[in-house]
Amino acid sequence: MHDVGYVAAGYSLTMVALVGYRWHLAVRTRRARQYVSAINGRARIGRRRR
Amino acid sequence: MRHLYRALTVLGGYRAQRVMGVATLAGLAATVVIGLFVVPPDATQGDVQRLMYVHVPIAWVMFLAFGVVFLASVAYLKTKRIQWDRVAAASAEIGVLCCALTIVLGSLWGRPVWGTWWTWDPRLTTTAVLLLIYVGYLSLRMVADSPARRAKWSAVVGVVGFIDVPIVHESVVWWRSLHQQATVLRLGTPTIAGSMLATLFLAFVTFSVAYGYLMAVRMRVGRLEDRSAVPVSAQTGPQVRRVQSTDISASVGSDGHA
Repeated sequence: MHDVGYVAAGYSLTMVALVGYRWHLAVRTRRARQYVSAINGRARIGRRRR
Repeated sequence: MRHLYRALTVLGGYRAQRVMGVATLAGLAATVVIGLFVVPPDATQGDVQRLMYVHVPIAWVMFLAFGVVFLASVAYLKTKRIQWDRVAAASAEIGVLCCALTIVLGSLWGRPVWGTWWTWDPRLTTTAVLLLIYVGYLSLRMVADSPARRAKWSAVVGVVGFIDVPIVHESVVWWRSLHQQATVLRLGTPTIAGSMLATLFLAFVTFSVAYGYLMAVRMRVGRLEDRSAVPVSAQTGPQVRRVQSTDISASVGSDGHA
């Protein structure tokens, strides 16, 4: 039963790390896009035009 | 090299990225459910062996990521194309994340099985050195003052640092180690049960797709950050036109549209 704690911790940590890194990339994308928008008027890459 | 970059540009497309994102989520859900509830526990280690389904595939992705850093660094030194530097930087970041996760997961597995969180075992020590090398690589990228110099220095570290990767992999064979020897990536037939092997294979595929997905997103961030690094004062005149056209052509090549 004690071992289950290690397993749960390992799986949780893996998911938190992956989601956290993806979130970190989303924040960086938004910041960079805002900066590019401020310079050029709009972001020219990284966003789909509809 | 050209094939590798073409593969990366295909993976960087919006549709491919979305498909990989969904596949990653589905694969992770399947891996967690099968790894925790479907596959039987190990006869010797019990439930704690279930950590294998995340520890081993993440270690594989770590090797894959640092391998891509090596190839992209060689390609940069050969061609001086900044796109290769972006590939190397993106892969190194994911590699460092996976390396840190591998160590922590190994520690969580080692505590109940070996009775200790950490020991100066050859496999553990060489992996810790690997983490330090690539944390150094990322730190170096932050201190270099010009993009060209940053790319050149990083490429050299990316090539030299890769020397530790085969040492990590072979450390359990070369030295006496607490860490078990390879059970899947070895010559001959694997030494684990079929159901465990199938789950492990699913996890390998899932984490490889997750790597592709994170690479695609991270390279997009890299392109945006490189563009936002162009100084405002340089936004007029012929020089800027050249910078912008290069950048846009690079993004067209990798995204399919500017």
